[in-house]
Amino acid sequence: MKNNNAIPPALAEKLLLWFLKEELAEEVLGDLDEKFYATVRHKSVMRARRNYWYQVFHYLRPFALKKYRSKHSNFTIMFKNNFKIAWRQIIRQKMYSVIKIGGFSLGIAACFLITLYILDELRYDQHYADKENIYRVIEETEYMGKDFKNVWFPAPLAQVLENDFAEIEKAGRYNNAELFGSGSKEVRRTDRKLNFYETRFTYMDQKLFDILQYQLLSGSPGKVLSNRTDLVISQRKAEKYFPDEDPIGKTLILNNDEEQVYTIRGVMENPEAIHFQYDFIMSLAGVEFWPGEQNFWGAQNYPTYIKVQPGTDIHALEDKLEAIEKNYLMPAWKQSGELNIEEKAKKTRMALQPVADIHLYSADIEDMLSHGDIRFVWLFGGIAAFILLIAGINFINLSTAKSANRAMEVGLRKTVGSTRRHLVSQFLIESTLFSFLSFSIGILLAYFLLPYFNLLSTKSLVMPWTEWWLWPVLLLSTLTVGILAGLYPSFYLSSFKPIHVLKGKLSRGSKTSTLRNALVIFQFTTSIALIIGTFVIYSQVNYILNKKVGFDKDQVVMLHGANTLEQSRSVFKEKLLQLSSVKSVSISDYLPIDGSMRNNNGFVKAGKEGEEEPVFGQIWRVDHDYIKTLGMKVIEGRDFSSEVLSDSSAMIINRKMARELGFENPIGEKVENFELTRTVIGVIEDFHFESMKGEIRPLCMVLGNSPKTMSLKVTNANMAETLESINLLWDEFSPNQPIRYSFLDEKFAAMYSDVKQMGQIFGTFAILAIIVACLGLFALSAFMVEQRSKEISIRLVLGASLRSVLSLLTLNFVKLIIISILIAAPLAWYAMQMWLQDFTYRTEIGPGIFILSGSLAIAIALVTISYQSIRAALANPVEQLRSE
Amino acid sequence: MKETRLGEFEEVLLLLVGILGEEAYAFKIAEEFEGQTKRAVSIGAVHSTLNRLLEKGFLTSEMGSSSPERGGRRKRIYTITAHGSRILSDSRDFKVSLWNQYPGFANG
Repeated sequence: MKNNNAIPPALAEKLLLWFLKEELAEEVLGDLDEKFYATVRHKSVMRARRNYWYQVFHYLRPFALKKYRSKHSNFTIMFKNNFKIAWRQIIRQKMYSVIKIGGFSLGIAACFLITLYILDELRYDQHYADKENIYRVIEETEYMGKDFKNVWFPAPLAQVLENDFAEIEKAGRYNNAELFGSGSKEVRRTDRKLNFYETRFTYMDQKLFDILQYQLLSGSPGKVLSNRTDLVISQRKAEKYFPDEDPIGKTLILNNDEEQVYTIRGVMENPEAIHFQYDFIMSLAGVEFWPGEQNFWGAQNYPTYIKVQPGTDIHALEDKLEAIEKNYLMPAWKQSGELNIEEKAKKTRMALQPVADIHLYSADIEDMLSHGDIRFVWLFGGIAAFILLIAGINFINLSTAKSANRAMEVGLRKTVGSTRRHLVSQFLIESTLFSFLSFSIGILLAYFLLPYFNLLSTKSLVMPWTEWWLWPVLLLSTLTVGILAGLYPSFYLSSFKPIHVLKGKLSRGSKTSTLRNALVIFQFTTSIALIIGTFVIYSQVNYILNKKVGFDKDQVVMLHGANTLEQSRSVFKEKLLQLSSVKSVSISDYLPIDGSMRNNNGFVKAGKEGEEEPVFGQIWRVDHDYIKTLGMKVIEGRDFSSEVLSDSSAMIINRKMARELGFENPIGEKVENFELTRTVIGVIEDFHFESMKGEIRPLCMVLGNSPKTMSLKVTNANMAETLESINLLWDEFSPNQPIRYSFLDEKFAAMYSDVKQMGQIFGTFAILAIIVACLGLFALSAFMVEQRSKEISIRLVLGASLRSVLSLLTLNFVKLIIISILIAAPLAWYAMQMWLQDFTYRTEIGPGIFILSGSLAIAIALVTISYQSIRAALANPVEQLRSE
Repeated sequence: MKETRLGEFEEVLLLLVGILGEEAYAFKIAEEFEGQTKRAVSIGAVHSTLNRLLEKGFLTSEMGSSSPERGGRRKRIYTITAHGSRILSDSRDFKVSLWNQYPGFANG
């Protein structure tokens, strides 16, 4: 049963005949035909054709291959000769080769590391089976002319989304607010005494757990978060608490709460490349943080996610979500006494963000998560490209500058019959060889630098040695870079006319100096811009750390986990105060650093509810010693006093809140919010309690209990001794829980570690760029000196001073650097001005930074050039002149 | 003298050449190999090994007859040389002697 198609594939046959020894052709073709028809009989024609290809490729064995050398001898010999000449060039011109290859390797290492970084950033949230159907719900509002986006929604929203919209297959939510018990906790096994401190707790419902497709290592899928006290932990925590045991069904005590013990229902894979990463997931089933909370539309605490039916029109769905506003949100706003509800509804809109976009495209969304930023991905990519470009320019500049040395060779080759094509391919082979060497060294360099880069970028990248794409990509890049860098030099060099060259008429390499100068300017513009950027970032970091923040962050020790002291807390506080080194002690979790308690409440003047727009701000629960301990400044009225009983219903507000509420004389005014009405007894100076990227917001303090953190103001005396005595005291009170403390100033600085990190990254790349650029400059100046050595000697003999010779040699380069500064300064100024826009409180970019960067660049360049120049100027003129 | 030891694959091929007799050419040997061992092998791999066995002098070969299935092309028939069969029996004797020294298998 043969059809027309049942013949062996002609192309495969052709391929086989192309590489196969002629004397083998008959038997092999015969065997393969037989195999083919045998396969057609037993299986399909397609299988047979595929098998034929397979068999052909398996004939790629040494014994069966044609010997090419005998046939194309000239080609191979020339090919080998090209390599030999290229190798000799590298060996003979050691300095130039080292600079070409060294610079290239640095550039490639930087590029490679940045590529790893970018690939890692792009990996986030790409692993879901149906990621195009998973969305995060976003609320977009306009407030005082500005757009705000956030992810916080009322508790009942998820259920409503699922019930009311047919397109939505599933909706789930989590709650990661410290206020409700997410964040950090003290953890121990039910059968142990010692507490461990753990962070990364969150509440989540089963539906979100399913939507985000957490991989369970054990536990029954779909049922791990069904009860009030169900808990899912990550693999690493399972190994920590239950080594060599099955954790399922085991129990953990959180924050010493023995009434409500959590049972482990599932162990999940360690979260990785997900936009939020938690090690402990507590069930939301049956949870109510206050009576009626789960059906209350007036509080927004839950980030909500949905999974839609495949093929849903997302924009249409977004428009349909307006119904939620009308049916649920607006009544809730009305209830909470807001005015202008219609207007607010017009300005508020629900949007859907694809889950794969969350990690990189959330810069303008308030979600309290730390994630990447697509702008930085582009920025780093750009920097990597520029550094590679700078290195490539070195290659081009040196190749063309040294052309005079190759001119003779080109002339001779042409005379004996070489065509231009041969020469171009010769030089391309040479540059590819350079590229190959540079890539090998560069990748090695990247391997050794990876640990430092990980520190710099706070990532844990590994070399992708075993990834399938690595070697093909490297090979391709080697060829591409080699050919691109070699293209111009090869055409330039091969264009020489033999008659001119051999007569010695070629102007010695100075012809292309315009292009060369332009390229040098480009290199230094890039480097100087990076230097300016680095300086601006560091000056902003300095500005933040030295700005008067409105409280005294020095000499404050914070003890964490004090909530576990229970009743003995006040005794502990008394004992602490008896230590000579402790000035005052305050118990409050509301601190002006990241990671402490926050909330958001609406305030109105008493009696004006329903008439005036509420002012939104924080309520901080503090104790009597808080303001004293943290060193805030009371500018009107007084601090809380333990002697005045009515202070329990008093409040102290910050200046911003006084202004927002429109108080002329705030003291004695009454303010009410959701809870109750309070009397203002004092106003404190505004202090920074959030990142300086935003404005200081309204805040008030009331007396209250928030027992996790104790802040201790200590004297300047010996800090080690002070800590030692505090530690001894702690162990007396809480033997089962190791002491955990931190310093307020360090925590404050840590809030800006991302800015600092950015500065470090910028600085590193700036240094790298300037090194590579200087390598090129060094080689160029060496070349210049070499070219003009006779001229210099004659000048010296005729009585030129050292200074005049030096300025002759360096002035030209300095001019180039100055031009670079003039170009780089406005570009960098503009870019950094844009960056600073992120900060409400920001440093000024003064002329100092430009002067500093400029003189730094000139100094570095001068040092680079002068080594060669001074050597030339100090050389004995006779050495150079006697050869002629 | 060239390498004379036999690899496992070489030994099997040598035996198959002996078994197939007049029909011992690359395609048939490969088919037989797959049939008897249930292991996949490409004709190229078999051919390359046969070539090596030729070089070692365990096999000789000559072009044989053609058939229509081969598009009228002739096949190369391999035959074991005297040297080849001696190597084969040496190899068997060596293994039998090893088996005999193996106490758990002494009378097997």
